[in-house]
Amino acid sequence: MNSKLLVILLIILSFRLYYFSQNQIHFANGQQISFETAILSQPQTIGGRQVFTANYKNQKIQISTGLLPEINYGDYTLIVGKISNQKNKVLMYFPKIETINNPANILQTSLKGVNIVRQKLIALFSKTLPSPSSSLLLGIIFGIKEQMPKSFTDNLRTSGVFHVIAASGMNVTLVGGFISIAFAYFLKRQIAIGLSILGIVFYAILAGAEASIVRASIMGILVFSAQILGRQTLAINGLSLAGFVMLFIDPTLISDVGFQLSFAATLGILYLKPLFGNKEGIASEVLTTVAAQTATLPILLANFGTYSVYSILVNGLVLWTVPILMMVGGVGAIIGLILPQLGQLLIYLCYPLLLYFEGIVNFFGKIGGVISIKALPWEFIAGYYCLLVSILIISHKEV
Amino acid sequence: MKKTFLTVSILLFLFGCILIYQNITYNDKKLHVVICDVGQGDAIFMRTPDGSDILIDGGPNNSVLSCLSRHMPIWDKTIEVMIMTHPHADHLTGLIDVLKRYRVLMFGTGKNGCSTDLCKKLIEQLKQNGTAQKYLYQGDRFAIKDGIALETLCPTQEWVSQHLVAKSSDENGSSVIELLTYKKFKALFAADAQASDMEKIDMLTGIIDLLKVPHHGSKTGLNSDILDILNPNIAAISVGAKNRYGHPASFTLELLKSLNIKTLRTDQVGDIEIVSDGNNWRVK
Repeated sequence: MNSKLLVILLIILSFRLYYFSQNQIHFANGQQISFETAILSQPQTIGGRQVFTANYKNQKIQISTGLLPEINYGDYTLIVGKISNQKNKVLMYFPKIETINNPANILQTSLKGVNIVRQKLIALFSKTLPSPSSSLLLGIIFGIKEQMPKSFTDNLRTSGVFHVIAASGMNVTLVGGFISIAFAYFLKRQIAIGLSILGIVFYAILAGAEASIVRASIMGILVFSAQILGRQTLAINGLSLAGFVMLFIDPTLISDVGFQLSFAATLGILYLKPLFGNKEGIASEVLTTVAAQTATLPILLANFGTYSVYSILVNGLVLWTVPILMMVGGVGAIIGLILPQLGQLLIYLCYPLLLYFEGIVNFFGKIGGVISIKALPWEFIAGYYCLLVSILIISHKEV
Repeated sequence: MKKTFLTVSILLFLFGCILIYQNITYNDKKLHVVICDVGQGDAIFMRTPDGSDILIDGGPNNSVLSCLSRHMPIWDKTIEVMIMTHPHADHLTGLIDVLKRYRVLMFGTGKNGCSTDLCKKLIEQLKQNGTAQKYLYQGDRFAIKDGIALETLCPTQEWVSQHLVAKSSDENGSSVIELLTYKKFKALFAADAQASDMEKIDMLTGIIDLLKVPHHGSKTGLNSDILDILNPNIAAISVGAKNRYGHPASFTLELLKSLNIKTLRTDQVGDIEIVSDGNNWRVK
C-alpha cells in the first residue's frame, strides 16, 4: 500500500479513537437504563444463565439473565435494567428483556430471516450427525459453536486447533468462489461476482459476525469487487482497509482478542510465510500454521497464558480435511435446506473425516503438552514484534 | 471434476464401512447399561437387546450427547423411554439437549414441583416434540418385548399425595427410583435418594447385580443395612472430579470397600458400561 495513504488512514483513525474516548459514556452504579438493540452475539449458557453482550451508545454491556425467555442471535430486543460496574466491565443482571417484532423494520426482518436459516442449519446438522461431530462440522463450515460439548472445546484448545471453528478467510474464499463459479455459467460475470459479494455478506451474518469473519469478509468483498472493476489488488491493501473500516466503526475492537488474532495471523501469512519459500500440499499448510503462530504467539500467551507444544503437528495432521469438509458439508447444508434427505446424505459423507479429526484432537487433547505462563511482560511482547519487523526489513533488502 | 468424484467416492465408501462396523457392534443382542461420564450429575443410558433406548436423567450439561453417540448407532435417532428422576439441574439440563436432537416416545417423571426456568424449558421442549408424558409411581412398569422390564419403586402414590406441592428441599427425597430386570440380571438406579428412602424399597428388589449409588456417593445415601439386603456385585458412582460438594463421601467409599463391593467412579474411569446377556454380565 502507498505509504502516504497509510499514514493518512492512521491519522484519521487516531482522531476517531480520540473522539471516541472523549465521548465514552460512564454509567453510575445502579443507574437504570432502557434501550433497544439487536443481539449480535450468540448468548452463551453458563451455569443456568444466558450471558451475552449488547451495545448501548458505543458501550458494551455484558448481560446475564435467566434461561427464559430464550434469546437468540439476531433477536431485536428492548432491554430495561440496572447497570453494575465491576472492574473495567459494565454488567447488567437480570434485566427485563422483551423481544420486539416490527415487520416494517427491514433490519429486524432480515436478521430474523437469517436466524431462521441458522436455526434450521443447526437442527439439520445435529439431527444428522452425533455429537460432537455435528458441532465440529457446524464450527468448521459456519463458525457456529453454541452446541459444542465443553470437553471437546477444551481438547480443541489444548491441541492448538481451536481456530478451525472460527469462520474466517478460507470460508469466505470458498463461499465467494463457489457462488461466482456456480452463477458464471448462466449469468454475466459482473452479476455473478455481485451475487458472490451478497453471498459473503449473508454468510458473515449467518456465521455470527465475529471479528475474524468480518475481517475476512471485507477483504473478500474488496478482492471480488476489484474483479468487477477489472483491477487486481493486493491482499495487504484489503487487510489495511478492513482494519481501518472495522476500527473506525467500532474502536473498542482493538482490545478484542479475536480481532487481534485474526489480523496478526493474516499479516503473518502474508509477510512471514514467503520467507520460508514456496511449498505445496501438507508442507504449505504446516508453513501457514508456523507463520500464523509466529505472528500471534504473544497475543495468545498474553490473553490465554497457554501455548500448545503439539499444535504445529496437530495442524499438519488435520488441516487438509478442512477444505473437503467445508465443500461437502457446505453443499450438503444448502441442499439440505430444500431437500433434507439428500442434504443429510452429503453431511453423512463428512462423518469419516470428522471421526479422524476428533480422534487426533482428543488424542492430543489428553496428552496435553501445554506450556502456561502467568503474566507476560510487555517488554517481551514489544521486543518480540520489533524483532519480527527488523527480520522482515532486513530480508526485504536482500531480495 | 475427476478429483471431486474420487473424493466423494472415497468418503462414501468409508461411511459404508462405518455403517457395517456399527451394524455388527450394535446388534450383539445384549443389554448395555452405561453410567455416562457427565461430570457432577447423573445420566444413565440403556440399550436393550433389540435396540430400544432408555435414558434416565441427562446430567448438568450437554455432554450426555457425546455419551449417547458413543453408545448408539448413527442411524438410531429415537429414544423409546426418557425418565427424569427429579427436576434438579444436574439431572435435568442435558435432557433438553437430547430432546432437541432425538425423537423421544415417552417421558416419565415424579409428580413434584417443576418451578425453575430450566424445568419449564424442558416441559416446553417436550410439548414441541409431541412426547407422551406420564407421572411415575411405585408399581409402574415399562416392559419391552425382548424381556427387559423397568419398574418404578419410588415414590409411592401415598407419599406424593401427602407432599403434593413438594418444596425444593424435598426434591431429592422424592427422586424416582428405578429397577431394571433382564432375566437374572438386576440393576438399581437410586437417583439422589436418601438412606431413609432406600430403606423403604430395599426389600422390594432382592439381591441386585448393579447399584447406581444414590446422590453421587453422598454420605446420607447408604448404610450397611441397606447394602446387606441389596448385596450388589458392583457399585457405580456418577460424580464430577473435584466437585464442590465433596462427593463421593469417604464414609460411603469405605462402606463399599468393607463389604467387598467393586466400586467404579465416572470421574476416574469415564463412562461405565455393563454388558449382560441376562445371565452373566461384565464391565466393558
